[in-house]
Amino acid sequence: MKNQLLHVFENTPFGREIFMQSLYFCKMTGLHLKVLIPNHPQFLMYFSREVVTTNLPKSFFTGAETAREHVENLVQAAGADASFVEPKGYTASTLPDIPVDFSFMTCLRAMSDLSSKLHLGYIGPEVRNIIKNAEFPTLIPTPIYKEWKRIIVFFGGSQNKVKALRLGIRLQLLSGVPMMLFTYAEKKPKTYYEEILEEHNVLSGIKSGGVEWLFAEKGHFKEVLYDVPTDGLIVAGAYGHGLIKEVLFGDLMEEMHALLPNNMLIVGPHYKED
Amino acid sequence: MEKRGGRDASMSLPILSLPRRSLLKLDERLQLIIVAAVVGIAAGYASVLMNLGLEFSEHFLTSMRGYWYAPLFPACGAACAVFFMRNVIKDPGRHGVTEVIYSISKRGGLIRLRSSFSHIVGCLLTLGSGGSAGPEAPVVISGGSIGSNIASKLYLNERQRVQIVGCGAAAAIAAIFNAPVTGIAFALEAVLGEWTAINVVPIAIASVLGTEVSRALEGNQIPFLHRTFHVTNLDLMACLGLAVLTAISSVILLRLLSYINSKSAEWVPPRWLRAALGGGLVGGIGLLVPYALGEGYPCIRSVIGAQFPPGLILAGIAVLAKILATALTLGSGGIGGIFAPSLVIGSLTGVFYQRGLIALLPQLSWAGESYFGLLGMAGVTSSALQAPMTGIFLITEIAGGYDVLISVALVSVLSATLSHYFEPFSVYHAELIKRGDLLRPRTDARVLSELTVMELLEKDCHVVHPEMRLRELVRIIETSHRNYLPVEDSRDGRFVGMIHLDNIRPYLFDPGLYDTVLVEEIMNRDLDTITPEDELPEILHKFDETGSWSLPVVQGGRFLGLISKATLLDHYRKELMAQEAE
Repeated sequence: MKNQLLHVFENTPFGREIFMQSLYFCKMTGLHLKVLIPNHPQFLMYFSREVVTTNLPKSFFTGAETAREHVENLVQAAGADASFVEPKGYTASTLPDIPVDFSFMTCLRAMSDLSSKLHLGYIGPEVRNIIKNAEFPTLIPTPIYKEWKRIIVFFGGSQNKVKALRLGIRLQLLSGVPMMLFTYAEKKPKTYYEEILEEHNVLSGIKSGGVEWLFAEKGHFKEVLYDVPTDGLIVAGAYGHGLIKEVLFGDLMEEMHALLPNNMLIVGPHYKED
Repeated sequence: MEKRGGRDASMSLPILSLPRRSLLKLDERLQLIIVAAVVGIAAGYASVLMNLGLEFSEHFLTSMRGYWYAPLFPACGAACAVFFMRNVIKDPGRHGVTEVIYSISKRGGLIRLRSSFSHIVGCLLTLGSGGSAGPEAPVVISGGSIGSNIASKLYLNERQRVQIVGCGAAAAIAAIFNAPVTGIAFALEAVLGEWTAINVVPIAIASVLGTEVSRALEGNQIPFLHRTFHVTNLDLMACLGLAVLTAISSVILLRLLSYINSKSAEWVPPRWLRAALGGGLVGGIGLLVPYALGEGYPCIRSVIGAQFPPGLILAGIAVLAKILATALTLGSGGIGGIFAPSLVIGSLTGVFYQRGLIALLPQLSWAGESYFGLLGMAGVTSSALQAPMTGIFLITEIAGGYDVLISVALVSVLSATLSHYFEPFSVYHAELIKRGDLLRPRTDARVLSELTVMELLEKDCHVVHPEMRLRELVRIIETSHRNYLPVEDSRDGRFVGMIHLDNIRPYLFDPGLYDTVLVEEIMNRDLDTITPEDELPEILHKFDETGSWSLPVVQGGRFLGLISKATLLDHYRKELMAQEAE
């Protein structure tokens, strides 16, 4: 369903913070929020080429009788537009199939791993699997509710980063907040990146729109992250060629998450632009 | 800069990239044949693994059957199988064949990779310990999963993936029974549900290669080889009665299985305990009637070899015991299939029938028990699976029974037809049909399932507000090409109703009313609406119920657009043409 964000609700204080991030995202972008209150410890997502099984920890079933009420209260307080997802297909009686035709999905940094691994900077294997297969971008919020005042697109020049850039522009138009580009140059001149933007007909828009371009040519990736504003929603592509492919799914991505206290929107390789 | 369109290559394992690139250059049919061959061989190995595991467990446990605690084996095995599936491998899948059909029907043939081995391990624990079930369902999902995952890695399209899943299922059945034609018939009849030329070739190749793997590793044995029969017209006439009896046996089996399956969760909620209790009861039955335990092939061999212990009542008890043991094993959550138990129940039903004939009409000369045992196997299998072709080919291949082909065909077809009257759906399809999950190719439901509300949404609607006067409304209608106008609250934008041209027709020719009549006075508030999540069959039902030609799509109180019957039928026709072209 287009213009919808899927959120799997965890009925805990931590889950509430994450849910508020989704509410804020929807409010800023005018999206409709679809909330799944899980009834089973697993659910399946049938993407175009792979079935992703998500195992939910027990915390997702805390106070099951109050979950719906908590969601309704939070939605009402935020004045957002939301409804519940009721799975229609079941691969087995305790294995619901969740639709995959949403515009966005919120994932915890580790949706189903041991709590010992649930620390800043860790992206669980199942969240990675969702990012890898989904046709929608994945919102990975910070553990504590944090509003964003700008959109920061991590632009590395690859096809997937161009998609991320277009998504950033779309979000900017929807939310009305300023946008910023961040590029870690990888020994290439700025003109190289400008040519790519020109090729995709976005350069003039970026220049005329007064988009700030943070272009880091020197220093290690970890060091240049220091200059990234912390009040922005980072939009980044994953699984591209080059830097981000290595970064996002290697140790550096863990470091990026550990170093940046920002909400992140990850565009996977199968992301389809609306 | 990155090469455009290079995304695919970057995502798979490097080892898979080269074969995939080479494969993509080939003709589509040749691609399918190559992939089918690979899947057939892999599924063949999975089946051999299953057979070896069963042989090992049978060998290991046979020596321990005499101990007092032997009845506990099936209980422990079933509990371990459930624990393994739910807690270790986390695959709470349904019956293997049903899951494969579901994936083909609703999920474009996608099956989880873990299913390629989880059901085999679960089934080894269940059957190896004495549970009454068959190994074919686990190997079918294993073969299907292997096919599905190979097809996905090679970026085959959805239709090709479905065919390859069918290839995996065919090869698995062919290998486990050493019966290639049965594998083909099963895949086409029970799994894919369509006999088309494009399906037959890859499935036949996979089936033959799966069988060859099995023959290479386990030898070319006909499992239930029989002697030549002397069949008279009288025996052929007797087939009619056997068809009735096998239909009754299969209906009892299906209903008991369904009953235990639906009630056992209420009786004993914890799954592992439920499986353990079911297994324990099976162990108890096994103490009295050992033929009820395990997959039951030794029992079939004794029937075909005319060595089944004498006695009409004993044969009858054995039939009931096997039916009960199978329903308890599978209904309580044990992992396995119904194919092998159907064969056992059928063979015992045949023996019971033959002995009954002798008891009733001792003056006549009848064919031997093994003849009726074979026919009984064909009858119960065809009825339980609602797949007579599979039943016919299975019996002729696993028993080398081409000489009784006419009798086998007669009993299979009659039994399937009779049982269809009481149990219209096979054990694999019943649950899917109940849930509306069985969508066969090129059927109405399948075509509709490919369409979504958002695809059909028409957004070019003029929105009006409740406080508008008729004069303004008439002006809007002049420029609108639609008969329906959605009404939204001007304060919060919420959808409050619709106006149809028929609503304003009575006022149109009286300009005196133009400034006195308001939209809210003539709009239709009591409307059926659609949500984006609604499925097309529900929407069609709403159209029929309300007699409307257009219905509003509303989400969270907001009007999104209209769906019209004409657009729906237009898209339906296009989708049908697309499916026909495939």
